[in-house]
Amino acid sequence: MTPKKMLLVPLDPVHDVGLKLIARALHNAGHETTILPPDLSLEEIISKAKATSPDYIMVSRTISYGTAEVLARFVDLCDASGIREHAKLVVGGLSMRPEMAQEYGFDAGFGPNTTPEEVVAWVDGKRIETASARHSLTKPDITQGYSYAFRDTVAGELCYDIAQTILEWAGNKTTAGIERAKVRADLEEARAQGDESSAKELLAKYAGLTSGDVRKWYDLGIPVPHTRALTASEISLIESLSLESPLPPGQKPLEGRTVMVQYGTGCPVMDAQHIALSLAWGARGVVHFDPSWGARTEGLLEGAWSHQHDGTVLTLENLKLIKRAIHPGALWQVRAHRGLNTPETVVLAHLAGADLTKVNIVYGSLGAGSDPARLTVDGVEAMRLAARYGMPFDVVTNEELCGVPARKAFAGMLIVATVGLMLGGRPVLQPLFANSPEAMVRGLSEDNFVDFNYAKMAVLREIIDAPIWPGAPVGFMTQTPDRCQSATMTALHAALALNLGASAVTIASSDEAYAGGPISAHARVDTLKSTAAALRFFGSSGIGATPRGDVYASELREGIMETLRRVRERRDFVAALYEGLLGDKDDGAYPGRAGKDTVREIR
Amino acid sequence: MSVKDRIIDACDIETFLVCDGVEEGKKLGLRLMAELGFSDADVVFCEEGGSGVRIRLRAYVHRPASVYRWHSRGGEPS
Repeated sequence: MTPKKMLLVPLDPVHDVGLKLIARALHNAGHETTILPPDLSLEEIISKAKATSPDYIMVSRTISYGTAEVLARFVDLCDASGIREHAKLVVGGLSMRPEMAQEYGFDAGFGPNTTPEEVVAWVDGKRIETASARHSLTKPDITQGYSYAFRDTVAGELCYDIAQTILEWAGNKTTAGIERAKVRADLEEARAQGDESSAKELLAKYAGLTSGDVRKWYDLGIPVPHTRALTASEISLIESLSLESPLPPGQKPLEGRTVMVQYGTGCPVMDAQHIALSLAWGARGVVHFDPSWGARTEGLLEGAWSHQHDGTVLTLENLKLIKRAIHPGALWQVRAHRGLNTPETVVLAHLAGADLTKVNIVYGSLGAGSDPARLTVDGVEAMRLAARYGMPFDVVTNEELCGVPARKAFAGMLIVATVGLMLGGRPVLQPLFANSPEAMVRGLSEDNFVDFNYAKMAVLREIIDAPIWPGAPVGFMTQTPDRCQSATMTALHAALALNLGASAVTIASSDEAYAGGPISAHARVDTLKSTAAALRFFGSSGIGATPRGDVYASELREGIMETLRRVRERRDFVAALYEGLLGDKDDGAYPGRAGKDTVREIR
Repeated sequence: MSVKDRIIDACDIETFLVCDGVEEGKKLGLRLMAELGFSDADVVFCEEGGSGVRIRLRAYVHRPASVYRWHSRGGEPS
C-alpha cells in the first residue's frame, strides 16, 4: 500500500467529528492526513488544496440546506483550478447519499453510518466490507464449552437421584405420543425410500393414533378450524426468498450476541418474511411458535397450512418451507415442550433440520395443561430423541408466569435437565427473566428489575456449569403496548442477561403487550434495534446488582435445595407434580388434564 | 396496485392529537384511520398528557393467512 496524501475538509460551520474519526483511521493506516478547520470559504479550501497537492480531498457535509449548490460549486472550483487532475474528490456526511456523489461530480460518496474502516478500505483499494458481508453468519453452538458438572455436589446428588427414579418409572411405559413419533419417523423414511406401500400402511396407522380435529382431517379431509392449505403460488414465494438478506446500512448484528426471536404468525408465508427481516436486523436465530391447540390434540397434520390465529401449524411440510427462509448460519429452534405431541415434534424438528428444541416436563405439566404422568413419559422420550439427534434443548421455566416461585421452578428445571444429561443430551437452562408474580408479590422488583434476575443467573452458575439462555422471551410483565417502553424494557432485560454471561437470549417484539392483533413486522425490528443499542451502550462495562441481589440469590439457592430434598423424599416424581411439590394451587399451578390416563405399561 | 398493498402486515401511525381526553382521542384516532382509508384499525395505546393524547394507531392491511397483495407485485413501478 502506497501512503497517500489526504486533505479532509468539513464543509460546515461547526461539524467535523466524523471527519476527525476518518482522519484518525487513515493516519493509523499509514496515510498522511491534513484536516482543515470548519467554516472556511470554498476559495480558502481551494487555496489550501493547491498548496498541499493531495491525492484525495475528502469533503464532509452534515447540514442539509444548500448542499447541492455548495458541492456543485466546490467541484467546479476544483476543476477550474486544476486540482482535479491529480486529486480524487470524495464526499460524505449525514446529509449525503452515495448516489448523490456522482450527480454532483465526485469520484465517490459515503452516506451516513459509513464506518471509518470502510473509507480506509476504499482508499487502499480493498474490498469494502459491506453491511451484508458483515452479516455472513456462522451458526453458534450455545452449549459449547460447558462441562455440565454440578458445582454444588449436594444439588447434583439430589438431581441425579430424582432423575434416576424418573427414568426407572418411565422405562416400562409408553403413550400414543411415543407411538406416533415412531410411526412418523418410519413413515418419512418410507416416503424418502419411495416405498409407497409401506407409507400408505404407516399413514393409516398414524391416523388411527390421532384424535379430535386432527383425526377428522385424516379420516374425512375436514380442515382444522381456522386453517387453509397454502396455495402453490404462496409456496413458490417462500421458495424464492433470498437467504442472504442484507442488513440495513450501518446496522451491526447485535454485537455478535446470540439473540433469538420467536415467530409464529400462523402463516408460513408471513413467517418467512418476519424471519428474513429479523435476521436482517441482527437476530442470530428464530424460535417456532405453534398453535396452542396443537399441544392438546393427539396427532399433527400433514401438508402446508396457514392458520388465521397465533401460532404456525406444526407439520413437516410447513417446517421445511420455513427452513428455506432461515439463513444457514442462523439457529432454528422448534419447541416440543408442552403437549401431547412432544416426542413427534422432536422427530419433525430433526427431519426439517432444526438445531434446537425445547422440553420441560414440569412447565408442560403445571403451566401448560398436560397431564404430569403423560408428559413425564413423553418428555423422557423427547429428550432421548433429542440426544440421539444431537439436538440441544432448553428447559424453560415459564411456570413462573403462573405464579410458581423460582425456587420450585428452578428445582424442576434442574431435575429435567439432569434427566436429559443421563440420556446423553445437552440441556440449556432457561430461567425466566421477567417481573414474575413472585417478584411482584414479594416486592423483589420494587426498586429495580436487576437484582432478582441477577440472583437467578448467579444461583444457576453456583449450582452447575451449564449454558443459560434466559427467556422466553425476556421482559415478561414489564412491557406495555407503548412501543418505546416495550422496546426499552426488552432491550434492558436482554442486555442484562447477556452482560451476566448468558449464552443466548430470546426477545419479544414491541407488540408483546398488545393483544389486538398479530405481531407486526416493524415491531420485531423495534426490539432488535433497541437491544443492539443497549448492548452498544453497556458494552463490556457490566451491570451490577445492589447488595440485595446476593441476598435474593442466597434465599433462592436455599429454596431450590429444600425443594429438591422434598421431591427426593417423595421418591415419586409424578406424584410430586400432582401433589404440588414443584408448584401448587396456591402458587397458581394446576396439574394439566390433557392426556390424563393415557399412559400404558409395556408388557 | 396501491402503496397500501405493499404494506407487509400492518401500518402504524403515532401522533399527538389535541383533544379533551383518552376517550375522545381514541375516537378521533379511529376516525383518522377511516379517513385514510383503513378498514381494519385499532388503537394500540393512548395516553393523556398536555393538551391531548399521545396515540398509536394500527391498521392491518395483511393479516396472516389472508391474500397478500404484495405477493404479486411484479412489473409495477416502484
